[in-house]
Amino acid sequence: VSDLVIVHLYPRLLRTYGDRGNVLALKRRAEWRGFRVRVDEVSIGERLPRDAGLILLGGGTDRVQEIVGKDLAARRDELAEAAQGGTVVLGICGGYQFLGTRYVMPDGGEIDGLSLLDVETRATERRIIGRVRARGALWGEAFDLVGFENHGGRTTLGASVQPLASVSRRHGNNGRDGTEGAVRATVVGTYLHGPVLAVNPVLTDTLLARALFPLNGNEPLGALPDAEERLAHADAARRVREEHRAKKRSMLVAASLIALSLAFGGPRAAREIDDDDGGRGDRVAPAAVVERPLMIPYDLARTAEITGTSRSSAGPRR
Amino acid sequence: MRDWDELCCGVFDTIGPNLLGTLATKRIEPEYGSRVISAVDAYDRVICRFAWGAGSLSRLTRLGAGTSLPGLVIQRLSPGFVRRRARRFGDGITVVSGTNGKTTTAAMLATILGSTGHAVLANESGSNLFRGVATTLVSGPRHARAGVFEVDEGALARLVPSLQPCVLVLTNVLRDQLDRFGEPETVARLLGEAAGALPSGSAVVANADDPLLWHAVEDAKPIGFGVRVSDTVAAAPAGARMDAEPEVCPTCGGSLVYRRRTLAHLGSVHCHRCAWANPDPPTFLAEVGKPRGLDGMSISIAGIPCALRLGGIHNAYNAAAAVAAASSLGVPATDSVAALETFLPKFGRTERLPFDGRDLWLLLMKNPAGAGALVRQVVGSPRVQTVAILVNDRAADGRDISWIWDADFESLVGGMPIVAGGIRASDVAVRIKYAGGSVIAAESDPHRLLAAMTDVTVDGDGIAVLATYTAMLDFRQAVLGSRVARVEDLVALTS
Repeated sequence: VSDLVIVHLYPRLLRTYGDRGNVLALKRRAEWRGFRVRVDEVSIGERLPRDAGLILLGGGTDRVQEIVGKDLAARRDELAEAAQGGTVVLGICGGYQFLGTRYVMPDGGEIDGLSLLDVETRATERRIIGRVRARGALWGEAFDLVGFENHGGRTTLGASVQPLASVSRRHGNNGRDGTEGAVRATVVGTYLHGPVLAVNPVLTDTLLARALFPLNGNEPLGALPDAEERLAHADAARRVREEHRAKKRSMLVAASLIALSLAFGGPRAAREIDDDDGGRGDRVAPAAVVERPLMIPYDLARTAEITGTSRSSAGPRR
Repeated sequence: MRDWDELCCGVFDTIGPNLLGTLATKRIEPEYGSRVISAVDAYDRVICRFAWGAGSLSRLTRLGAGTSLPGLVIQRLSPGFVRRRARRFGDGITVVSGTNGKTTTAAMLATILGSTGHAVLANESGSNLFRGVATTLVSGPRHARAGVFEVDEGALARLVPSLQPCVLVLTNVLRDQLDRFGEPETVARLLGEAAGALPSGSAVVANADDPLLWHAVEDAKPIGFGVRVSDTVAAAPAGARMDAEPEVCPTCGGSLVYRRRTLAHLGSVHCHRCAWANPDPPTFLAEVGKPRGLDGMSISIAGIPCALRLGGIHNAYNAAAAVAAASSLGVPATDSVAALETFLPKFGRTERLPFDGRDLWLLLMKNPAGAGALVRQVVGSPRVQTVAILVNDRAADGRDISWIWDADFESLVGGMPIVAGGIRASDVAVRIKYAGGSVIAAESDPHRLLAAMTDVTVDGDGIAVLATYTAMLDFRQAVLGSRVARVEDLVALTS
């Protein structure tokens, strides 16, 4: 008999960004407090246990999300029922997008989500990638969040959800409104990797307390000696600041260089040399190699092909 | 220091086209006849000198390593230089790409070709983008007739048409640097496209044990290599491994069944739905008895026994790849194997550094699969008493370090003491804590880390240092630097 059942959905398929670490963080932190924990790994075609206290859905690659999308569509009612009954559902990155109402592909085609969160995601070519520091609030708890985000989709929040956290303008759900993640009742979505629960113990404990509510009521969870976690959290936050400062500096240098080169040669000479590189875009600035290489949009685009859930007549792209 | 080199390149990249680019003769093409060709050649030589000088200046002033600046200069001032220079390699050019094992495979192949009397040019510094390869061509000897270049997966699309390689070696596709490439499937596609873009008559040598990679290059009729492990203890446990890619068929998305598995998602598989399978056995098969240990193992490649001076299943793959590539270039397997027995690992790839009476084994760790392979190697080695895990999060390491949670560090816990290092030492400490153990020290500063490692070990101990790329550079410099400092101390004392 266990006090808490953690369900890891598609652990072998959706695990691109260390999602196993999230499960491990939940399990250990519950066990250290004396709770008995069972982790059920549920894959394609396998049954969801009825006594799930927390369901975790991670992110995967495009190809794998296509495969998972079909199975997930069949679990829609089951998951909605669980969420209604108070089970905590956590979606991360691609998993977060799955929890929304719909996903709009670049060609305008749409894929239905699980509709557990009133959010919708629009695919774009430009990914939001980088270290993140955010101010989070969940079920009356406020905390600092750190993590790393890497997503092509832009998610906008509907009226019935709250953002999980506030971030600086260029980050988060859509890079515009300064929101990160979404919450409705016991359903939580976030774009943060880290793994997010491994480096943000307060968020982990908040989720755990909610998942243990049937057993534990409103009794607060005991404190744990979190020296290592706090240090890692502080280091991650420091790296965000450092990167921010470095970016500012390099933008300043670039601006002055552009001004300089315009003053000397004018744009014509620059263009001529570019063409000479065989038209392949030979100008590989160091930052470009690292920051924005050959990305393909992180989307659920081709899920439609398999699931046949595309509502638009435009059809999925190939 | 490396940041300065990057900045230098950035400055040149912006100013170059305008200030210096206007001086460049742009309309030089070698198709115009011998006089023009010799003029182009002379021009290239001058620019080569200039580029080489720029690199030396960068090194001398200690502003950068000078491994990419000359390449950038030549690329700006003499476009098409790489293409023209590549044509002079009469014995052919080999390009090695893939996620893990590029450097070691390329170094092994260079050793084999060198021992069979070829004049070989290789980019041994590991500078594997377009600029790095151009730099190697600038600074390398002009008489070299065989080229072995390791090329970054992202730079393949530009380098393959320029270099016109006669052999393309593809090692594997593992999860690595997701903040750069998005996902492994993208990398597999890039490699497949590179294989398709080869000049006719060229050979593709690919890892047949990697379903994702093999499927991507299958159309190019590749020569396969693979590994068999007969020691059941060392063989990877059956079932899903957390550091592996998802086990789905690259053709139909059905689930893959493994007949045998060596590392991560490498092995011989077939799809239970569409019956797609990778070749078993591949043309060049390395059979491994006991892959454990750091400083050697006995294997047989294509049936020829070989005593390698480095251990680990991943190195069996590298050796098989090198022998397969060499045979495509006309070197008999027996000669290749004989040459491999003299091969010693390069910088940070099972490199052994003595320090203060201890033996440091430097092991480059890039991704969960690689880390898992190293952990298995370290755990099985009687010569290692302590292990250090160093993780940096710079661009060259991958800025997202979530992957350390997919690496099998659980196998280290309960065995030997663990030390954490690198910029994200504190994350390593948390990782080990949740794996059920604890680190005995966590230090970001490489010098303090070295001191801590000395404190917890005794004379004669072996310390395995698993480090990400820039963490390895920093740590190595600290080790070598403090050794020099010690000599200086002695001089100061005696004078």
